[in-house]
Amino acid sequence: MDFSHYAPLWGEALLTFLAVLIILLGSLMKNSGKLMGYLSAAGLVAALGLVASNLTIAKPAIFFFGSISVDALSQFFKVVFLIVSLLVVIASLSRYTGKGADEYYALLLFATVGMMVVSSSVDIVTLFVGFELASLSTYALAAFDRSRKNLEAAMKYFIFGSVASAFMLFGFSLLYGMAGSTHLVDIAAASLADFGPATLVALIFVIVGFAFKMALVPFHMWAPDTYEGAPPLVSALLAAGSKKMGFVAAFRVILIALVALRMEWYMAFAILATITMTLGNLAACWQNNVRRILAYSSIAQAGYIAIAFVVVGAAYGAAPVNVLNMGMLRADQLGIAGALLLILGHALMKTGAFIGTAQVSSMVSKGSETDPDDISNYAGLARRAPITAFCMLIFMFALAGIPPTAGYIGKFVLFSSAIYSGLVWLAVIAILNSALSLVYYLRIISYMYLKEPTGPKIAEQKGYVVALVLTLLAVVWIGVFPEAFINWAMQAAAVLLPQ
Amino acid sequence: MIENAISLMIAIPLLGAVVSFFAGTKAKFVALIASLIPLALSLQMYMEFDKTSKLMQFVESYDWVPSLGVKYTLGVDGIGFPLVLLSTIVTVLVIIYSWGETKKPNQYFALLLLNEVGVLGVFTSLDFFLFYIFWEIVLIPMFFLIGSWGGPRKDYAAVKFFIYTHVASLVMLLAIFALYFTYQTPEGTRTFDMLTLLAATADKTIFPTGLLNIIFAGLLLGFLVKMPAFPFHTWLPDAHVEAPTAGSVVLAALLLKMGGYGLFRVIMPMLPSVDKAFVTIIAIIAVISIVYGAFMALAQKDIKKLVAYSSVSHMGFVTLGAVAFTWMSVTGAMFQQFSHGIITCVLFMSAGTIQHVVGTRVIADLGGLADRMPKFAVIMMAGFMASLGLPGMSGFVAEFMVLTGSYPALPTYTMIVVFLSIVTTAAYHLWAMQKAMFGPILKKYMNVHEPHAYELFSMAMIIVLSLIFGLQPGLITDIMGTAATQIMEPVMTLTQMGVI
Repeated sequence: MDFSHYAPLWGEALLTFLAVLIILLGSLMKNSGKLMGYLSAAGLVAALGLVASNLTIAKPAIFFFGSISVDALSQFFKVVFLIVSLLVVIASLSRYTGKGADEYYALLLFATVGMMVVSSSVDIVTLFVGFELASLSTYALAAFDRSRKNLEAAMKYFIFGSVASAFMLFGFSLLYGMAGSTHLVDIAAASLADFGPATLVALIFVIVGFAFKMALVPFHMWAPDTYEGAPPLVSALLAAGSKKMGFVAAFRVILIALVALRMEWYMAFAILATITMTLGNLAACWQNNVRRILAYSSIAQAGYIAIAFVVVGAAYGAAPVNVLNMGMLRADQLGIAGALLLILGHALMKTGAFIGTAQVSSMVSKGSETDPDDISNYAGLARRAPITAFCMLIFMFALAGIPPTAGYIGKFVLFSSAIYSGLVWLAVIAILNSALSLVYYLRIISYMYLKEPTGPKIAEQKGYVVALVLTLLAVVWIGVFPEAFINWAMQAAAVLLPQ
Repeated sequence: MIENAISLMIAIPLLGAVVSFFAGTKAKFVALIASLIPLALSLQMYMEFDKTSKLMQFVESYDWVPSLGVKYTLGVDGIGFPLVLLSTIVTVLVIIYSWGETKKPNQYFALLLLNEVGVLGVFTSLDFFLFYIFWEIVLIPMFFLIGSWGGPRKDYAAVKFFIYTHVASLVMLLAIFALYFTYQTPEGTRTFDMLTLLAATADKTIFPTGLLNIIFAGLLLGFLVKMPAFPFHTWLPDAHVEAPTAGSVVLAALLLKMGGYGLFRVIMPMLPSVDKAFVTIIAIIAVISIVYGAFMALAQKDIKKLVAYSSVSHMGFVTLGAVAFTWMSVTGAMFQQFSHGIITCVLFMSAGTIQHVVGTRVIADLGGLADRMPKFAVIMMAGFMASLGLPGMSGFVAEFMVLTGSYPALPTYTMIVVFLSIVTTAAYHLWAMQKAMFGPILKKYMNVHEPHAYELFSMAMIIVLSLIFGLQPGLITDIMGTAATQIMEPVMTLTQMGVI
């Protein structure tokens, strides 16, 4: 048999094989956690190489009877997921080395495969299967340290996640009933016809299901509790990886399959985006737990990203205009590209920030009874853990969107697209929100750099430091040389729109 | 001239900041070298500067993010160059003054150098995007200087400083975006090029007056908060009182000048096209800043707070001269920026020296210090005289030019300033000097001694500079005069200038 036809999917195949192998090896060899970690890291690097070799695909490659599409968009998200997982694995090398670590790495790889499948799915069943693979793996990961807090976090995450999946599945079943097909393109064609109220019900269920996953207000309640309670490195994977999976799924389903209903979801997303970013930022100002602050900040970021839906709704099919300095382009393409850049940047910054909290909670507060993520543990971090503190500093500025870091470029492109599609008010609200967000980022910074340290200098763990510095370099690199990334995001965005 | 002199001038302190961060106690030597090289470069540029040319000089322009229309464009003309010179001089002197810093010296000197990077970038950027980045970069070292080396209420002061000026710069950013999204080049592209955008604001078909008024107000707010002008000045006394001496010096001498620079670079070219009511508003703000600053200074108990309010007052002259919009007043206002930049250094250094020699800055608790520290007293006296506008020192020339230049355009406002502020200004300077330094020495200060030689040296250097520019203002006003002529004319873009 000749498998060379499947070359674009070798990354997924490799990781699946590796995950199974790790479980097998883990059951045979005791205390091989470190080895498993290195194996996973190597596997992720190889997968990243495989995906990168097919980075820009002019024409989507379709597999498995039209259910999997390898295109510029899927490759964009796969790169994001693989980088996030790789960074988490590198950091985990300092944390998960003992007994049971094989399960940790295997679950992490399965979650990654699930996310990769979702990013390629052009069929609602495949999409759902990938979604559940990633979700189930992360449910288990969220409880991995087996502390009380872990269990609570995992339970909440599981219940909310299952309800979201149920909503989504019910929406999908209605879509299937109306279209008679599970392919997104067929649903898109069918949804042009009028099915009466059923269409609207399906739309509501699908949006609610995705909104849970993307943690848009008012479906966000699980996120702060879960990000706070799960092991910190898993929080990184959840905030940076699995949440972005919600976005790629929503992009595909809502922008491709349900585009005929854009007048219906356009306003819904305008309201959701506005409330989400404002409430996320306001709530973050009152938190004392750093991981909760980061959780609310990632809710706010989801609000920014959701602007892309509003822009597409407003500008869909509009004639190309002279956009920025890029020549004749459509505002909706620009909007999606902006969202993609924000997703890329945010994934990196959030991974870095959560790895930073992992470093702090594992080392700084060792032996203390208090909440390990309390902001008071960050007092004087600059002197106790200088590298961690410096990386966190840059991530905070990047999250606030201060140039030249990865944070500003996505916001710039996305907010511009809002202006070009006539949504000046939305752009202004978003910019004001960015300013507001600086309040709580600055609070963390002032604790790290201005407060007197509460303990001695600590030995920063190698795995965390390597992961932090790599993330830092990527965040600054994207900010200083954004041109290539903008072009890449524009190509990926084009996949979602009819040519 | 060396290729890319301005980039080099910005890159060397940046590199120096990184090196001194890792240099431990040797940081001060690194910092001194890393600040002397930009000084040498700016002096070299001064030699080669064409004083009669209205063109941008030493221009460098590279594409940075072509798809957004962001370019890396640097260049100086008569508006920016004197401030570049000021920044390089002040940074060197501040580093010398801080030679004895023992608390985390590596970070301290790194931050001072980073600050120089920011201000040099602001004064030389010709691309709004780049300008905004440097504008924001400046906040970071100052935030840490106040927050880590500051007085008892440092956290509050640092955060207030940051939020206040950040919100103002955000309003400015919105205005910049409004410019960016409204103007399209003839080729249909977008650009952040400052001169192109400013030239376009004169075109009523692109920027109708209503829109331009809003943009103008946004930009104006950003700059007035930084200056700071009444009623946006409240962050300044807090920041100054809590900041370490070097932080105060850099804040007053360089950061406030960013606001003034913005007035000349951005606000002035737009002034003829906006609603005339703005002239009145700005003039009122200027007059209140001058008079209110002087009276507040008179009421202060803390000598450093007194100096802080004197900055509000003196920077008001910059606003007044700018808005009067005559050749003489604009030249005078630019010279006031330069002159206040050097003179205020010696005032804040004096306050800092008194603080660490005597242990208090409360004027009422001081007395007769001249007896124990005669050299210091002479230098401080000279500084205060320069600040109150003694003829022969640079402050006199600058304020005289502003007042004579403003009178024909804004006679009422000028007369209010003359009547209410000149005597008050003299009063608070003389009163503070007399109370703190002269009179019979208090018993508890019998074993007070002269400050370190390096502190005296940097203060003395400033007095010398103030004298040189007071007696020979032409050294720098020639450059400013050309710039003032050019401000009165429509803005030329770099392409029209033929420099790129």
